[in-house]
Amino acid sequence: MELKEKLKILADSAKYDASCSSSGSKRKSNGGLGNTAFSGICHSFASDGRCISLLKILMTNCCIFDCKYCLNRKSNEIKRAIFTPEEVCTITFNFYRRNYIEGLFLSSGIIKSPNYTMELMIKTITLLRKKYHFGGYIHAKAIPGSSEKLLKELGLLVDRLSANVELPTDSGLKLLAPNKEAKKVETIMKYVKENRTKHFVPAGQSTQMIIGATKERDLDILNKSASMYKNHQLKRVFYSAYVPVNQDSLLPALERPPLKRENRLYQADWLLRFYNFKVSDLLDENNPNFNILIDPKADYALRHLEEFPKEVNTCPYYELLKVPGIGVKSAKRILKARQVFKLTFGDLKKLGVVIKRAKYFITCNHKYFIDSKLFQKDFIESNLVLEEKNPRKKTYEQLRLFNE
Amino acid sequence: MNNACLIYEDTFISLLNLIAYLVQSKIKPANIKNTKYSPTLLDNIIKLEIEENENIVKTMIESIGNAPFRLMYLVFLSTVENKELILYYFYLNALKYKEKIFYHRNLKCVDKAIKIANYVSHESHKYKGFVRFKDLKNHILYAEIEPANDILEIITPHFKTRLKNEYWIIKDVKRKIVAIYDKKKVFFCLEEEFTLKTTLESQTEMEFSELWKIFYKTIGIKDRKNERCRMNFMPKRFWKYMKELEDEL
Repeated sequence: MELKEKLKILADSAKYDASCSSSGSKRKSNGGLGNTAFSGICHSFASDGRCISLLKILMTNCCIFDCKYCLNRKSNEIKRAIFTPEEVCTITFNFYRRNYIEGLFLSSGIIKSPNYTMELMIKTITLLRKKYHFGGYIHAKAIPGSSEKLLKELGLLVDRLSANVELPTDSGLKLLAPNKEAKKVETIMKYVKENRTKHFVPAGQSTQMIIGATKERDLDILNKSASMYKNHQLKRVFYSAYVPVNQDSLLPALERPPLKRENRLYQADWLLRFYNFKVSDLLDENNPNFNILIDPKADYALRHLEEFPKEVNTCPYYELLKVPGIGVKSAKRILKARQVFKLTFGDLKKLGVVIKRAKYFITCNHKYFIDSKLFQKDFIESNLVLEEKNPRKKTYEQLRLFNE
Repeated sequence: MNNACLIYEDTFISLLNLIAYLVQSKIKPANIKNTKYSPTLLDNIIKLEIEENENIVKTMIESIGNAPFRLMYLVFLSTVENKELILYYFYLNALKYKEKIFYHRNLKCVDKAIKIANYVSHESHKYKGFVRFKDLKNHILYAEIEPANDILEIITPHFKTRLKNEYWIIKDVKRKIVAIYDKKKVFFCLEEEFTLKTTLESQTEMEFSELWKIFYKTIGIKDRKNERCRMNFMPKRFWKYMKELEDEL
């Protein structure tokens, strides 16, 4: 098979993995080609708007498993291909030299056995590091069920090592991925967490969950994320809206992937990690799914109006972070700026606060932006919903449809 | 002398010397422009003979602090009209507030300078990813860029460490400046001072750029197509020299 066709097949079957980050590692040049940038670098953006920073490929799309949601499942009749280690190295090396990519993302279908697959990946990455002296970023997917010895070997070669939980509950996994065991993924995460050093998986681990393929509620998903952040010190949890690639009676018949829901989960994920929110602040048993009309933070604010409006000139940092339209950066700027002068609405705009959202929830020098009698849930809610349904966005999409 | 439009010699050092002189002699300029400026009838153009202080960079860093000085340099690299005047007022305030100058976002010169500097450093970060090298026949890596700001110099250290064992050249097409790396140092020269022996591509160039285009087309998920999002992150002005986008231009 020609290299072109192989690349096409093995990139196509890798594309549903959402992880793209190349940050968090301080690998220095080892005398050969390449290093890593701590902040990560995006090299291009695909037609779906997602960043391309790594050469994202599978070693092979042959697989002994039959996970219902996966394109590469055993029972699918698709073209199969396998890279040789040398092929992966030449493509990576030559792409990197031309500054197409920041490094390699290597995953694989399971061929023969988990250990055999891992050995193949290790062989490839060893070749890349030792013979090609490649110092760029490498993210490898650990194969659940492989031996600890192999995990150790691979972890010493790569920047990030991760395993995907795929579905947030055991019952979901049993239904759709009967060959997978949640325990095995857990084992990998535990091992990586306990052994992480400057030389072993320096950029930490991440994972991914598929959204909308099973009946789990947002509450289940977010609880799972929170527990993984806490127990395994994950850098990131990625959420991947389920794209129906297979027909199966066990799978939902979706018209289009649940992108808005995915977006809400990412917003909530950020609130957990950087804004000091807890899952229980955002969702509970009476209210287990996110509001599609309003983002999680605004939703929280509307349900807790008694905490607002907050006075920007005196309110503490973590309270500022609760205001819709104020982010980590703008909150930090506010803290600095208000040491030297009293902030007005006009100043907030300069500091990067999204005034059209924040204005409903704050006062500047104890003044509300309009008559404070209007500080009421219905009024604010309707305005925020309209704000999100910006008419300009709509026209654009309609135009594009028209052109097609 | 007040209300004059002052001229500097197009370099950062020359501008710093002028600003330091103006502040010291308490002259308030109406404007500061480089030598390419074509004056109007209303301009009162003055070119001062100022003795260049070789240690101006050190002196300035000592008087205002590292971070504010770094910001001044980034602003200088932009193409914003009146950037010199913004820098003059920024420096004047930085003398007073030092590193705390960044807190004073209610001052117009500070707010503007920070925004411009962010724009410049943002663009330079983008270019770390968007530069596309071609492998020439003699295995020199060659790239062309057309950035809005003069970021060529500040992106070269990145490529110097990353492609340490390669010969590479990056050319700013609009400004006609070339950065050349010879495996030891980076040199800068004007386009006309320099000719490439060959611009022919190496034998494998075609193969790998084709593979890259295949990868790019394959990796996007059709069900999630989102042109708006792509444009936000990668506006069209970057596309010209990016191999993977040549068919879509």
